[in-house]
Amino acid sequence: MADGKRWGMVIDQSRCVGCWTCAVACKEINNQPLGFWWNRVLTAPPAPEANAPASDNIDVPAGEFPNLSLAYQPTACQHCQDAPCVKVCPVGATFRRDDGVVLIDYERCIGCRYCIAACPYGVRVFNWGDAKHADEFPVGYAKDYRSDGRLVFTPERPRGVVEKCTMCAELLDAGQEPFCVKQCPAGARVFGDLNDPASEVSKLVNEEGAQRVLDELGTKPDVFYQPAGRRDLTDGSAQSGSGS
Amino acid sequence: MVEIRRRHFLGGMAVGAGVIAAGPRLRFLFASEPEGAGVAAAATTSAPRQVFRTGHSNNCDGACGHLVEVENGHPVMVKAAPWEDTAISGAIAQKFNPRICIRGLSQIQNTYSPDRVKYPYRRVGERGSGKWERISWEEAASTISQKFGAIQDKYGKRSVWIAPYTGSLSLLEGVVGVGFRLASVIGASAGDFEGDNQGDSATPAGWNYVLVDPTNPDNGGGLFDGHEGTDFLNSNLIVLWANNVAETSIPDWRTIVDAKKKGAKLVVVDPRFTPTSAAADLWLPARPGSDTALIDGVINYLITHKAYDEAYLRAYTVAPYLVHPQTKKLLRTTEIGLPGKDDYVVVGADGKPQAVGAADPKSTQLLGTFNVGAMSASTAFQVLADTMAKYTPEHTAALTDLTAEQVNTLASLFASNHPVGIRAGFGLSHWYHGDLTMQALLTLQALGGNIGVHGGGVTTFAGGLTTTAFDLPGWWAPEGTTSFTVLEPMEACDAMLDGKPYPVRAAWFMVDNYAQQMSDRNKVVKALKSLDFLVVSDYVMSATADLADIVLPACTYLEKTDLLSSNNFYLQYMPKIIDPLWESKSDLDAVTLVAQKMGVGQYFDKTADDYLKEILHIGDPEADSNVAGLTWSQLTEGAPHRNTPTIPYVPFFDKSFPTKTGKIEFYVEMLVPFDQAVCDHKEPIEASPTNPLFSKYPLVFLSTHTRFRTHSQYSNLPWLKEINNGGQGFLEINPKDANARGVSDGDVVRVYNDRGVMKVYARLTESIKPGVVNCYQGGWDTVKIKHYIEGHPNNLTHQIANPTQAVVPNFRSNAAYFDCLVQVERVKG
Repeated sequence: MADGKRWGMVIDQSRCVGCWTCAVACKEINNQPLGFWWNRVLTAPPAPEANAPASDNIDVPAGEFPNLSLAYQPTACQHCQDAPCVKVCPVGATFRRDDGVVLIDYERCIGCRYCIAACPYGVRVFNWGDAKHADEFPVGYAKDYRSDGRLVFTPERPRGVVEKCTMCAELLDAGQEPFCVKQCPAGARVFGDLNDPASEVSKLVNEEGAQRVLDELGTKPDVFYQPAGRRDLTDGSAQSGSGS
Repeated sequence: MVEIRRRHFLGGMAVGAGVIAAGPRLRFLFASEPEGAGVAAAATTSAPRQVFRTGHSNNCDGACGHLVEVENGHPVMVKAAPWEDTAISGAIAQKFNPRICIRGLSQIQNTYSPDRVKYPYRRVGERGSGKWERISWEEAASTISQKFGAIQDKYGKRSVWIAPYTGSLSLLEGVVGVGFRLASVIGASAGDFEGDNQGDSATPAGWNYVLVDPTNPDNGGGLFDGHEGTDFLNSNLIVLWANNVAETSIPDWRTIVDAKKKGAKLVVVDPRFTPTSAAADLWLPARPGSDTALIDGVINYLITHKAYDEAYLRAYTVAPYLVHPQTKKLLRTTEIGLPGKDDYVVVGADGKPQAVGAADPKSTQLLGTFNVGAMSASTAFQVLADTMAKYTPEHTAALTDLTAEQVNTLASLFASNHPVGIRAGFGLSHWYHGDLTMQALLTLQALGGNIGVHGGGVTTFAGGLTTTAFDLPGWWAPEGTTSFTVLEPMEACDAMLDGKPYPVRAAWFMVDNYAQQMSDRNKVVKALKSLDFLVVSDYVMSATADLADIVLPACTYLEKTDLLSSNNFYLQYMPKIIDPLWESKSDLDAVTLVAQKMGVGQYFDKTADDYLKEILHIGDPEADSNVAGLTWSQLTEGAPHRNTPTIPYVPFFDKSFPTKTGKIEFYVEMLVPFDQAVCDHKEPIEASPTNPLFSKYPLVFLSTHTRFRTHSQYSNLPWLKEINNGGQGFLEINPKDANARGVSDGDVVRVYNDRGVMKVYARLTESIKPGVVNCYQGGWDTVKIKHYIEGHPNNLTHQIANPTQAVVPNFRSNAAYFDCLVQVERVKG
């Protein structure tokens, strides 16, 4: 289905202002139960490298007033090439497609949660009981989706299975971009084929220094980040207006 | 990737794939699976979806377009909608990104919220007791008709106050909506319309001082306008002055960050380190309420460094006009015996006074004091320069809590960049002297030649509903009726409590949570409780509905037909996407029912669509140029850009200013009696260290907006609460101030002043300037739901109006929410 494609995403932290739209969009299209977040927006200092420790403590800056810094790191499944979750799954429920998308077969998952322990990014959630929803009817894609016969999306996940970001496989397979990419109001998410050197994602990774989170672990995510940066206008550059 | 565009939808419809019949009043755009979907999906049994385009009208700057997918009668998906890339006239407009945020994406929950008012209710207990009896619409309408009639007979027509409000920014409902038409028809008073509301009229008043003659009937009592959001792509320097775009106008952040990527420098002035501040190239945490002083410091720098646009000042401002040394008004030729008809006076290259009409406009003197007969008169620019001279970097730094270097850095940015675009948040308007701050910003922008040019201006709000595109006079007061009497929210409490300027004994609030969102809430609640009869239409059981005699169930934006064209320049038709839930009714239907009972049903005999056609003058060759040529199908099948003289829209692009002089009047003659002819900083009425009250209440109390709600809308939605501290409100306080009070993170604190008290959890954060505390407003304090432990920020704010603003009738009073002092103490136990 992928024709030699490897789907990847680059998130530009200099555009991201932590609005959570991607996270809520993810919640909507995937009909996520109350308390579940496949995609969260972590508060992270704007370090030159993207692998700075991230925090769940929303909007709290680093530093002391007025010398502060603040950046955001939207974090969902990193779709690793060498995914620890795939390796530890004893039943092959978690698998990586040829196009790089890591998915969970809900009919095969036995709820052992080894994958949750193995994932260094903390992006998997488990259905301990029956899901509670905000709305009385399923919202979003709202129907089953199978990839090569395997049930990789269902609007009401049964109790006892793990769930996570699917990179909107149902949209990808229909020629569309993941929902978070389309809904991001800041244009912070770029999606495309990492196997195509001419694609924007490849350029950002190969030429613009987009980086992986926890790169040192060797998991090789296909989700990359461009760090936030700030110009210093007090060093004299304020004097040199760009003119019009 | 596939770029979804409207023509694909329409194309899909044309070939008829999967088209199903829609309800008779539903706008049907297309019905389909997501493009190409279902190929690999074996277990698909669900019905095809209908997809509608609408505008999200709930009082938000975003004015986002939504695509809403409906399946089995339920809206199951809300997502960002595309825009037309042409204007009504067919002219190429611009590429405008689809836009949405967490608030828009939560609208299904909002419509199906358990907090919805489902049926009409009559109060059976004490006001605010939460005891209700369900009644029929028939009974509700009869009661309202009878009570309004009896009260109007006894106390006069104006004693009934209709308050349609900004809870909806659409055309038929809310802030310019059908409530005004009812008020006109029954002779009632009403307040207020767009721009002229609670805390949002100080900066608009200041805008009029400089750019508009509010006494000229052509200006309708005052205007307010701004640059189209996309125009900031043309700025070299963007200053977000008290404007937390990244949280409050989230989709507008796209333009700011796109401009930044193109090379624009970004300055943010805010006492809080918001997500917007964090993204700035330069963040200036000025002392709250000292903004005018900071602007004055920049103006003084520009004048002393001669870094102003001389040609622009001569051509488009009153800079060279002489000021009468005694009256302080602009000098007239008749006052000094110059021949010819009466005119203003300038000084030519020869040093001699001349009538403006007779002078060479390119060689007038900008600065200087000249002998004119026995008098010695200065130019307006000289008066400004003299007044600003005290704002040295050091003095400005002392007033603003910044360093002289920071002041100089900001000033040099203004000196070396053109164009400079300023986005001034309504936060600037929440001050007693907010009018003066806007006057100062416009003065600053005039000096740099930044008004009426692409990439410039001072923008708070653009594309408002009060545009001439809409025939509001005809909508509000149908033929044969007289327009309602305006009574502002800031004036209503006195009318209820003291009968001033006349008694108000009954009120009908529509999408207006006055009892919680208006300042000095204790006074408001007292006033509402004093009424003989109170009706509240709302879609949730608000703090205001809690106090009502009759509560009416209103619709959300998905359940009614309307039009949105606020804060951008696109016309967004809002089709009724689902039938009203339970027994809810649109304001139009509710008002129609009451009007019929009151014997004035003939003024409400049209459908929503027909009123829209009337207001927009569709098919009328004399329609306003903004909407000339608009057809019904164009309106209902897309979201076209209005016909504007330039795209992106720029106010005063032709440099024609509707002032007395036709110039930018940074010297404001009509403010001489208020000692405010030029923008000399004044300390806040309350939140100033110079106030004796400061020793008792030393903390400036802000009550700002958060990304998780729009005023008091969406505060209780499950998804948003999950990422917003479980919905529990908190007080942001700097650890320095907290330590001094023995307050730790998570402690319960009492926030108080002489007007009131609230209790809330403390959140210690370095993101707020010491001496300032902030509690996000808009959480609920209703009978059933409490997002603060006790009270609401507006239990602490005041209703002190600035009389200066009265010179602009449309913006005559303002609630200075942020001009407020409090003390904070830990609550023991």
